Amino acid sequence: MSALLESVDEAQALEQLHALGCTDGLPVVIPTVARVTRMVLASGLDADLLLGEMGPMMGSATVQKVAVAAVMAGALPDYMPVIIAAVKAVIAPQFDLTEMQATTHCTAPLIIVNGPARFDCGPVASGFGALGPGHRANASIGRALRLAMMNIGGARPGSSDMALLGHPGKFTYCLAEDEEHSPFPPMHVGLGYASSDSVVTVIGAEAPHSVLFSCDADDPQEAENFLAQLAVGIANMATNNAILTGGAAVVVLNPEHAEVFARAGLTREAVRQRLWTLTHLPIAQLRQYGGAFADRFAGREGDYRAFNQPEDILILVAGGSGLYSMVMPSWCAGAHHNSAVSMAIDNNQFCEIPSVSVSEQ
Amino acid sequence: MRDGINLALLGIPAVALITEEFWPQGDFVAQSLGMPDIPRVQLPHPVAGTGEARMGEIAEQVVDAIIKQFMPVKAS
Repeated sequence: MSALLESVDEAQALEQLHALGCTDGLPVVIPTVARVTRMVLASGLDADLLLGEMGPMMGSATVQKVAVAAVMAGALPDYMPVIIAAVKAVIAPQFDLTEMQATTHCTAPLIIVNGPARFDCGPVASGFGALGPGHRANASIGRALRLAMMNIGGARPGSSDMALLGHPGKFTYCLAEDEEHSPFPPMHVGLGYASSDSVVTVIGAEAPHSVLFSCDADDPQEAENFLAQLAVGIANMATNNAILTGGAAVVVLNPEHAEVFARAGLTREAVRQRLWTLTHLPIAQLRQYGGAFADRFAGREGDYRAFNQPEDILILVAGGSGLYSMVMPSWCAGAHHNSAVSMAIDNNQFCEIPSVSVSEQ
Repeated sequence: MRDGINLALLGIPAVALITEEFWPQGDFVAQSLGMPDIPRVQLPHPVAGTGEARMGEIAEQVVDAIIKQFMPVKAS
């Protein structure tokens, strides 16, 4: 059961939540009993159902507590199945949430939505500015997960969340794949799901880094040149991927850039395989830039692998068409080396809740 | 801090070494994991990357405090 606070009005309640450190610094929707109850009802799940524990505080993530975060984030009840799935994904042991929340690295859970839930539980934007402002589902789903990580998991900057700077994706970091404009099968199909399934994939990721590439269909080297550019993005010598190695990374191709690979006859798997090969880097280079992190290769020459396997490079299609794609390097640490976790979205439980005006709440 | 607690849970005497920048986080983790009194010694910050000579100096400064934490507490 969540603790109840009392205040004379919503303005005072907001100040109280700010003072308690329960917000992300921005105003939140006050999680009144009525609003939280409605959010729980929408999930179709019991309020007391325990999804798991969130570190480092090891707080119990019940459906009700997650609903509190969803209300505060400004989410619509429709978004609850995605939020529940995202919370379950970060709670999975292989996500190493406790360690990720406490690291000095700048990492935030990037939520990628695939399948029909992109529309049924949204719309979750996948086109122009999908990672920017103006998309309610993207903004509030990611924010709900962050508020859950703060208020259930206990992450507070400087005392338990030790990120030296953090990054703006720690407010919200959520997008859908643009399956309709992708030349590849949807990302979740490659992960073993059916295309009719709805899935969230969550990965602790750095802020997005832009990758500029100017397409030239007349250049027979076009695809290879672009691959080389992307490889620099995901494993340049300033990234944990190049120094710590063994982690994952995300490549977000805009539809025009995805077409570069399609006209070269490259599948998603082929792109990933080539990126994996192109991120085999010289040990001498690691020795030059990696300090003591190069000690594990003492006495060896030749190349080392930034990624253990091609599958550790996630590739999806999103954004408007043009010059820019995005890459997100990752932290690469924790017991599971910052692996991505996918979780099916169960929206069969979802209950449609009649809308109620704010004054009735 | 977490490593120290995990060792203590295995029955191995442990003292956590925490730099001053991370002292509040150490308290938080100790509280969260139900071992608020786990022995700990504060180090200056930073330690990592400061070179062997500086690490030697820090070790000189804290070695007695670490040993003291391992000594049995006298009954009053």
